[in-house]
Amino acid sequence: MKNKIFLFIIILFFIFCFIIFYKGLNNSNIYIPKLNNKKDLPIFIARDFYLETEVNSEKIFLDNNFYILNIWASWCVPCRKEHPILMELSRNKSIKLIGLNYRDNLNNAKKFIDELGNPYSQILIDEEGTLAVEFGAYGVPETFIIDKNKKIIKKFIGPLNQKLLKEIKLFLK
Amino acid sequence: MYGKKVKLRFLFLTLILVSVILSVFLILQSLKENVIYFQSPSEIKILVEIDKKKIRVGGMVKDQSITINTNEVNFIITDFKNEINVTYSGAVPNLFAEGKGVVAEGFLKDRNYFLATKILAKHDENYMPPEVKEAIGDK
Amino acid sequence: MANQIGYYSLILGLALSFILSAVSIKDFYNNNQGINQKVLSLSFLQFFFVIISFLSLILSFVNSDFSNETVFNNSHTTKPLFYKISGTWGNHEGSLLLWLLVLTLFIFLFLIKSNEQPKKYRILTLLFQQVIIIGFFLFLLKTSNPFNYLFPIPKEGLGLNPILQDPALAIHPPILYLGYVGSSIIFSASLSAVTQNYVSKEWAQHIKKWILISWIFLTLGIMLGSIWAYYELGWGGFWFWDPVENVSLMPWLTLTALLHCVLVLERRVALTSWIIILSIATFILSMCGTFLVRSGILNSVHTFANDPERGIFILIFLFVLIFLSLGIFFLFHKENNKNLDKIFWLSKEASILINNWFLMYFLSVVLIGTTYPIFLDVISAQKISVGPPFYHKLIVPFLIPFLVFMSLGPKLNWIKSKVENKFSLIIFFIISIFLSFFILRKLTPGVLFNTVLISPAFYLFFITAKDLFIKKFKNLPQSIAHFSFSMLLLSILFNSILSLEIITNIKVGEKYNFDKGQIFFQKLEKNKNSNYNSVIGHFKINNNKGKIIYLKPELRIYNQPVTITSEADIKTTLLADTFLVMNLVKGKEYFNIRYQVKPFMIWIWISVLLLSLGGLMSLLKKKYEK
Repeated sequence: MKNKIFLFIIILFFIFCFIIFYKGLNNSNIYIPKLNNKKDLPIFIARDFYLETEVNSEKIFLDNNFYILNIWASWCVPCRKEHPILMELSRNKSIKLIGLNYRDNLNNAKKFIDELGNPYSQILIDEEGTLAVEFGAYGVPETFIIDKNKKIIKKFIGPLNQKLLKEIKLFLK
Repeated sequence: MYGKKVKLRFLFLTLILVSVILSVFLILQSLKENVIYFQSPSEIKILVEIDKKKIRVGGMVKDQSITINTNEVNFIITDFKNEINVTYSGAVPNLFAEGKGVVAEGFLKDRNYFLATKILAKHDENYMPPEVKEAIGDK
Repeated sequence: MANQIGYYSLILGLALSFILSAVSIKDFYNNNQGINQKVLSLSFLQFFFVIISFLSLILSFVNSDFSNETVFNNSHTTKPLFYKISGTWGNHEGSLLLWLLVLTLFIFLFLIKSNEQPKKYRILTLLFQQVIIIGFFLFLLKTSNPFNYLFPIPKEGLGLNPILQDPALAIHPPILYLGYVGSSIIFSASLSAVTQNYVSKEWAQHIKKWILISWIFLTLGIMLGSIWAYYELGWGGFWFWDPVENVSLMPWLTLTALLHCVLVLERRVALTSWIIILSIATFILSMCGTFLVRSGILNSVHTFANDPERGIFILIFLFVLIFLSLGIFFLFHKENNKNLDKIFWLSKEASILINNWFLMYFLSVVLIGTTYPIFLDVISAQKISVGPPFYHKLIVPFLIPFLVFMSLGPKLNWIKSKVENKFSLIIFFIISIFLSFFILRKLTPGVLFNTVLISPAFYLFFITAKDLFIKKFKNLPQSIAHFSFSMLLLSILFNSILSLEIITNIKVGEKYNFDKGQIFFQKLEKNKNSNYNSVIGHFKINNNKGKIIYLKPELRIYNQPVTITSEADIKTTLLADTFLVMNLVKGKEYFNIRYQVKPFMIWIWISVLLLSLGGLMSLLKKKYEK
């Protein structure tokens, strides 16, 4: 009898531990900061990936369109994984995808695009990683949504996945 | 009359029980005293009173904010809503830089001034401590 | 090619687990003497397949075969061969494969080394072990397959984090895993002994060997980890109470307790429930450590990349094992307490119980300190961390009685004894108090507390030294182990009391004066190496006694992946280490330097080595001498 109560208490204790650990695990890794005040798009000059010419940021975000800016690099593994999702996004005509190639070797980056396809309407080079900082990025990959008023309205840290893709699509409607 | 055996066993069990209770009490007590809470600059701004306990502050090192001299490093931690000035004299990790996430441990002097005793290093450049993520976002 | 071979041998290994279980269950009900030869060969075959799989992963690493995702993520063509090989287990997938390899190796060794044991006990141990092995196979294949195929094949890999490119860290995981996995054998064996009602003197003699093996490896593994932290991290310490370190310390504490308890069981059937609980706890804590480190639930400096799916898998597996062992323990275990009453308060048994009490107390401190932040975060969403002061405050005061008991305990006889040589024991005690008082008065201001702390350490040191040198080889392993433990504590204590640390920001050409000397930053030298560029600082340090030391700490900028690491320059002598590390503050001309003088550092490593030597000798000794 005494033993049974004891056993019962122990089992309860371990179940409690299990629940705690389980919940602790579910704190998700992908993190979406809520930007309270919409941030202005920084003004910058960057080099184009293919033309190797300098472009002004105002010319890039010229159209009256939603833009998605994606920071990527060929050495970044999660980028490889999120690439198909970007490809899917690029089929959507109402938005334009801009790639920001972050601290990368140009040859590797070109191979990466050749291998996996090019979802971007334009790619910019950020060799030193300074542009990414201006956008307030923490690392690669990172994705920003820019609205028609040229404000950053949302950002995603870490690779995009199917769930976030749906969210983005919903957002664009 | 209880036998000697029973008495001994009883003694043994109480001894164990008492020592377990004592040690649990001791651990919890000093846990209370030695726990270091984590706060973001915005949380500090709305503090009612300044505690003398050690805390951790996390956020980003503000651009152009690091100044350095022989004795100390000064910089500003921001969560993009509020800022706090930090003075630190101690070893700086390699990944400490402007525009990067940082966790500083130390004492709060007032709502705008933090005296750090330690800056925590992380191995991975792209790694962001969860506390910092939370401090910058979600609030 | 190697990829496919590796993958399919893993699947074959898993299939063998099921076949092996079926065959051994059949053999269990067979009335033959001894285990069926088939079981042995199947167990060997399983080990064989896992080793094939492991070798093919090594081969992929050596050949830099980037069609393998694990290789792509963790290797690079310019990396030296040594680190290509050690890179195999320097990542999550490879280290799990290594874990599996050791699991299958150990159970095979167990089967061939346990011939004199009852057959049913051996088969049951094998079955419990297979439960663990199957769990790991599934975990590996489902969530962390080391042989994922990448297409198109990348030309170049991402490289191993440079901070992990260190010789101590290259052998640290295998050694540590040998310790962890050794405890899995103890776990299975004790569960099987419970079901067979075989917790006896013979069992104690046989399981003691396994306890010693995993204890030795765990001790060495922890030491290697802390050597790495000292030389590579450049934080100027060797133990930071980081969760990952705590997690390896916890099974060590239970294992040490178990090691002492088994000595009692070897004499007489007592403490059986306690021994079983300890055996289960040791392995559960090792698994719990794996969970905490691999799932990313803990916020630590060295967690692996986190993936919640992995975490959930290990978590469920961990609790399956917990409930399995709980069930078996409560169903089968018959308490055997009649001997407990006969424990006389002045006997070796009693002193071992006291030792256990202290070890369990230390364990709960570490356990609570490590897991409390997780609990609090989930329950109240508060982020906290528990720092070193917590551990120091709770552990250090208890070291004092612990050390005194440790000095006196081994003097007692089994069953019942009187204290002999009271006079010399007291004399030694007085000598140690005076000695530590006078040493400390010369060296530091905080005399009183430190005297109280150091005198028991000296006391233990003298008493064990006396045993070691005067009593000559009577129970040598124990004397060596206790002696080196006292050495370890003395060096740690003096190290922490007498350390000198100077942290400052300095420019090239500047001098910095402190009360015991001067640091002069002479010049900066730049070098190019194959996979990194380095900046070397030349420092000249004068101390007041006129001694000049030149130190050249280095900053390395690795290109794949781009990482900056600081290489501390450490000059080691028998008395003290001088340690200098510099860090770059980005974009500024100042360098942040940390200069440290750490007394007796080398003795910490030496005494841990001696400690494991004590364990090794006890393992090799044929029979316990009375």
